[in-house]
Amino acid sequence: MDSRGKRIVLAAGLRLPQVRAGGAFGAEDTGHLGASAARELLARTGIDPAELDEVIVGSVGPPHDQANIGRVVGLRAGVPESVPGYTVGRNCASGMQAVTEAATRIHAGNGDLFMCVGAEAMSAYPLHFNQRATRFFGKLAGARSLGQKLSAIGSWRPAMLAPRIALIEGLTDPTNGMIMGKTAERLVRDYGISREEVDAFALESHQRAKKARDAGRFAREIVPFMPLGKNGKKGSLLHDDGIRDNQSMTALGRMRPYFDKPDGVVTVGNACGISDGATALLITTEERAAELGLKPLAAIRSWAWTGCDPARMGLGPVYSSAQALEHAGCELDDMGIIEINEAFAAQVIACRRAFSSDEFAQKKLGRSQALGHVSPERMNKNGGAIALGHPVGATGARLLLTVAHELEVSDQELGLATLCIGGGQGGAVVLERVAA
Amino acid sequence: MSTDIDREKSMELPDLHMPDDAPLAGTCIRIDHPEQGLAVLVLDPPHRKKAVLDMALMRDLVSALDEIERDERLRALVITGREPLNFAVGADVKAIEAVDDNDQALALIRFGQLAFERIAKLSRHGGGRLLTVAAVGGPVPGGAYELSLACDRIVLADDPASRIGLPEVKLGIIPGWGGTQRLPRRIGVPRALNAILTGRLFKPSAAKKLGMVDRLTHPEYLLRIASDIALGRMKCRRADRGIWRWLIDRNPLAINIIKSQAEKSVRRETRGQYPAPFAALAMVVRAPKLSMDAGLLEEAERVTPLITGSITKSLVGLFGRSEEAKKLAQLPSGERAAGIGRAGVIGAGVMGGGIASLFAEKGVATRLRDLDQAAVDASVYGHRVQIDKLKKKRRIKKHEAVAAIDRLEFTTEPVGFSRCELVIEAVAEKLAIKQAVLGELASAVAEDAILATNTSSLSVTAIAEGVPHPERVVGMHFFNPVRRMPLIEIVRGEATSDDVVARTARLALAIGKTPVVVKDVAGFLVNRLLGPYLDEALRLWEGGADPVAVDEALLDFGMPMGPFELLDEVGLDIAAHAADSLQAAYGERMTKSDSLSALIEAGELGKKTGRGIYLWNPGKRDRLVKGDRNPRFSRPTGGKRPDAHLAAHEMIDRCVLAMLAEAARCLEEDVVATRGELDLATVFGMGFAPFRGGLWSYAEARGLADVRKRLEELARSPAVAERTGGAERFSPHGPLASS
Repeated sequence: MDSRGKRIVLAAGLRLPQVRAGGAFGAEDTGHLGASAARELLARTGIDPAELDEVIVGSVGPPHDQANIGRVVGLRAGVPESVPGYTVGRNCASGMQAVTEAATRIHAGNGDLFMCVGAEAMSAYPLHFNQRATRFFGKLAGARSLGQKLSAIGSWRPAMLAPRIALIEGLTDPTNGMIMGKTAERLVRDYGISREEVDAFALESHQRAKKARDAGRFAREIVPFMPLGKNGKKGSLLHDDGIRDNQSMTALGRMRPYFDKPDGVVTVGNACGISDGATALLITTEERAAELGLKPLAAIRSWAWTGCDPARMGLGPVYSSAQALEHAGCELDDMGIIEINEAFAAQVIACRRAFSSDEFAQKKLGRSQALGHVSPERMNKNGGAIALGHPVGATGARLLLTVAHELEVSDQELGLATLCIGGGQGGAVVLERVAA
Repeated sequence: MSTDIDREKSMELPDLHMPDDAPLAGTCIRIDHPEQGLAVLVLDPPHRKKAVLDMALMRDLVSALDEIERDERLRALVITGREPLNFAVGADVKAIEAVDDNDQALALIRFGQLAFERIAKLSRHGGGRLLTVAAVGGPVPGGAYELSLACDRIVLADDPASRIGLPEVKLGIIPGWGGTQRLPRRIGVPRALNAILTGRLFKPSAAKKLGMVDRLTHPEYLLRIASDIALGRMKCRRADRGIWRWLIDRNPLAINIIKSQAEKSVRRETRGQYPAPFAALAMVVRAPKLSMDAGLLEEAERVTPLITGSITKSLVGLFGRSEEAKKLAQLPSGERAAGIGRAGVIGAGVMGGGIASLFAEKGVATRLRDLDQAAVDASVYGHRVQIDKLKKKRRIKKHEAVAAIDRLEFTTEPVGFSRCELVIEAVAEKLAIKQAVLGELASAVAEDAILATNTSSLSVTAIAEGVPHPERVVGMHFFNPVRRMPLIEIVRGEATSDDVVARTARLALAIGKTPVVVKDVAGFLVNRLLGPYLDEALRLWEGGADPVAVDEALLDFGMPMGPFELLDEVGLDIAAHAADSLQAAYGERMTKSDSLSALIEAGELGKKTGRGIYLWNPGKRDRLVKGDRNPRFSRPTGGKRPDAHLAAHEMIDRCVLAMLAEAARCLEEDVVATRGELDLATVFGMGFAPFRGGLWSYAEARGLADVRKRLEELARSPAVAERTGGAERFSPHGPLASS
C-alpha cells in the first residue's frame, strides 16, 4: 500500500511479437496492432469490457487517419461505445505514460479499471510533402481562371519532390536539431565509451534474448499474432524477429558508424531496431482485481517522470530512477530486476556509469552518494531493445510487462523499469510482487 | 386516350382476392394537401404493419386517383409511405399463391397495370398535368417499384434499410405491373435485363448510379425534397439514356447480340426449367420498340400463365416457408430469443474455419481455437482473403472489412472463451473427442451459454451425456461449403431446451441462413435422405448404368449436380462414413454399396484429391475434365447388367423415390414438424429442384397414390428385389402407406 491510498496493480498483460519495421508487419496499422493486443487481453481476463473506465493508448506517431488512437483501439477491440478512450504521448515512454496515467486517475478517485495499451507501427510512418510542395498544391487548388492555373503549374520546382521523412524527423529533437543517435554519441564522448564496449553490449543483448526465447521465457508475455496482408500467409508470428542468433563481434565490428561519421561508435548494430509492436496491460486496484477474479502480475510501488539536458537525453533513466526509488523508499540495491530500455548500447552504458558515480549523484541528483551499481546479472536479463526491437509507443508498457513477469521467474520482490525519452526526459516505475 | 374505358375495366375487379382482414374502402390511402397545388398520396393501410399492394390497397388507390384526377387545382403529386423507410413491400404474395385461374390472374394483372398507367398518364412524362414524384424508402421490391416507375421522378431514402428492384423472377414470374416496359425505357435494355434477370435488390447508391432512381436523400428529408421537386422548387433531372437509346436500345444489331448472349446464359443457368427469365428477356429487349399499351398487354399475357403455373406456386410456397422459418427464433411465449454477440468455435478445419469466418463477417465477435497453430493460421488467413474479396466486390465497405477482420480472434490454448454466449465444436467425428471438448467448455463458459455441435453423424443426445446442464447442448449442423449452403439443421437433443433451440435459430438467421429444427436421429434429415439417394445411384452403376447418364438425368430433373458429382464433391471417404452410420442406425434398407471401396483404398477420394469417380482438373475452376471417368472406378466383369439401358425417368425414379420413401418415414417419425419444413430442408440443404417446391411437394404433385404404386413396382423389380434391403428401401411408409 503506498502513501496515496489504494494499491495499484498490473492485473494482467500481454504483448504481440515485436517485428522489424518494413518486415512482417509492413501492412499493419497501429489500430490493428493495439486492438489485437487489447482484444486478446479482454478475452483472456474474461472481464466485461463495459466495466472499463477508460482505454488509454500510448503512441508516438498515430496514423493521421487514427489521430485519437485511444478511441480507435477501444472500438476495434470490441469495447462498448460507452467507454471513452484517449491517447497519450511522451515519445518513447508513451506506453509507460498510459500506465502512470491510469494510476494517477485511480489515485484521484477517477475510475479503477483501465485498459492501457502501448502501440506503434513504425512501418506505417509516412513520407510527407515538404512545405513548398504543400503551398504549390494549395495554389493549384485555389486557382480559378486558366491564367491562374497556368501560373500555378508554372511555379512547380523539382525540389518539391523531396519528401519529409516522418521517421527521421520524429527521431530528431526540434529544440536542438540532434537526431537521437547524436545524443548517444554525445554520451560516448562524455564517458569515454569505446566501440568494443558497445558492440559487446549489443552482442550480449542478442545472446540473452536468444536464450530467453529458446527457454520459452517469452511465451509468458507474447501471444501469437497474424500480420495483415500477404505476410499472414506464412502464418502467425510467435516471437520477436529482431533477435540475431548468429550475431558476432566480427559482424558488429564491420558496421560503420551511422550518426557520427567517421569517428563515432554508434552503428545500427548497437542501437535498437526500428520496430512495430503492441503491449496491453490491465491496470486496476488490488481489491478490484480480486473482485474480477484476476491474479495480478505485480503492483506499482512508485513512479517518476524527470527532465534533463535534451542533448544527453540518454541519461534520463538515472534521474527518474533516483526519484522513483525515493518515492518508493528503496535503494537501487533493493531492485532484484532492472530493465533499462536499450535505445543505444552506449546510452545504457553511460547510464550505468552515472548510476555508480558519486560525482554524478552530487552534481545532478543532489545526493551525497552514488545510487548504486547496476550489475549485469539483474539488468535486462532477457536482452533488450537492441535484440527485441523498440516500437517506440509500445516499449514503456513492454518494460513493465517484462519486469512484472521477471519478478516471478527470478523470484524477486522489487523491480525497476526505466527508459530514456527523446527531448531530455526519463521515466521510471518501481514494481513489487504481489503475494499469491 | 380512353381513360374512361380503362376506368371501366378497372372497376370490374374481382374482389375475391381481398385479404380476409381488409378494412373499409377508402381507409388504406390518405391524401394530404400540405400546400397549394400539391397532393401527397400516402399508403397507410390500417391492417398491415408494412404496406402491401393487396386488393384493399389497390381498390383505394383507384378511388384516390379518381379524386386526384378531378382536382383541377393540383399541379404536383407525391406518392409515399406512412414512414420514410416504410413504403410498400410489393404485391400480395398470398394473392398470387391463391390465384389458379388464368382469367382471374389476367384481371389481377390488368387492374394493377391500368391503375399505374393512370398515374403515368397524369404525369408530365406521360403527357399529363402533374409533376409526380415517388418518395420511397426501406424495401421497395416488385410492385412497389413498379408503382414508383410510373411517376416522373423517384426519390429514394438513403439508408441501409433501403433496397429497390424487381425480384419477380425469383418467384417464377416476371414483373407484371409495367416493370418490364418502364424499367428498360428508363435505364436502357442492358441494365434492365441485368436487374430483372438477377432479381437483385439494389442498395441506394447502386440504384442511383444505374438510374433506377433520380435522387437520394436522408429519410428525414424525404418528403420535403420530394415536395420541392414536385412543385418545381428544386431541380432534379430524370435519368436519361440520351444517345444510348439510339445506339443500343433501338439498334437491332446491338439488341440481337445482347439478347442471344443473355439467352445463352439463362439457358445455362436454368437448364430450361424456368420459363420466367425467358419471358422477361423477351419483354425487356422489345420494350423500347413497343407502344406502352401493346407492351403492357403483352406483359400481362406473358405473366398470366406464369402466375397460375406450378413453378410459381412452388417458389412462392418456398418463400412463405422460409419466412415461416424466421419464427423459429421466437420463444413459445412469442418473445424473440436472445441474440448471440460473442461466439467460440473449436476446431479450425474446413467446417470450423468456415463457420468462424461467417460468424465474424456477420457481426459476431468470434474466438477460434485449434490445437494446431497451422490450422488456425490457415483459417484466419482464409477469412481475411474472403473479406478482402467482399471488399473488392464492393459488397462491404472498407471499415466494415476492417471490423470483420478484427472480430476473429484465435488461439491454440483453452483460454478466452469465458464470455462466449455460444461455442460450437467442429472437431473430429468421434464421440469421445466431442464429449471431451464440450465437457471442457462447459466449465469454461457461463451455465446458460449454448454448447453447439456441428456433428453430422453422431447423436446430439449422446454427445450431451455427462455435460453439466445438458439442456444447453444443441446440434447446429452446417453444410459444406459453409458460406454457400443456405441451410442449418438445428438438432434438438433429448434434453435441449426450447430457449436454446430458439437462440440457436436466431443466430442462424443472423448469419443469413435458414434454420430447420430436426429430431436427433442418425443423419438428421438431409443426410438421412441423401443416403439412399446416393447409394441408389451407386446401385444403378453396379447394374450397368453410366455415371454420366445418371448425373445428366438428375441434372435435368432439377438437382444442382448429379449424384456421382456430388459424391466426388463431398469426398468418397466422408460419404462412405456417413453411409456406414446410416446402415448402423437403420439396418437393412440402408445397406451400403461397396462400389467405392477400391477408390477409397487407393486414396482417390474425389475432388479434393483430383481423382474420384471422375477425374478433376483443379486448375480450371473445378470443371470436370471432359467426360473422363476414373479407370479405377470399374465394375467387376461378368454379372448381370439390369440397369444398363434404363431410360432417364427410370434412373430418376430409382434415386429420387428411394429418398422419398425415406422422407415418408421421417414424417412418420416427426423428424421435422411439417411437410413444409421437409421441403425447405431439401431445397436449401441439398438443392432439390426449387421449381418443384421441395421433395414432398414433388410427391404431392405426382400424386401420393401414384408414388406408392411406383415404389411398389420398384421394390418388386429384379435390380432392387434381389439385393439385401432393396425391397425395404422402397417400401411405402407413413403418409405414403396410407395414401
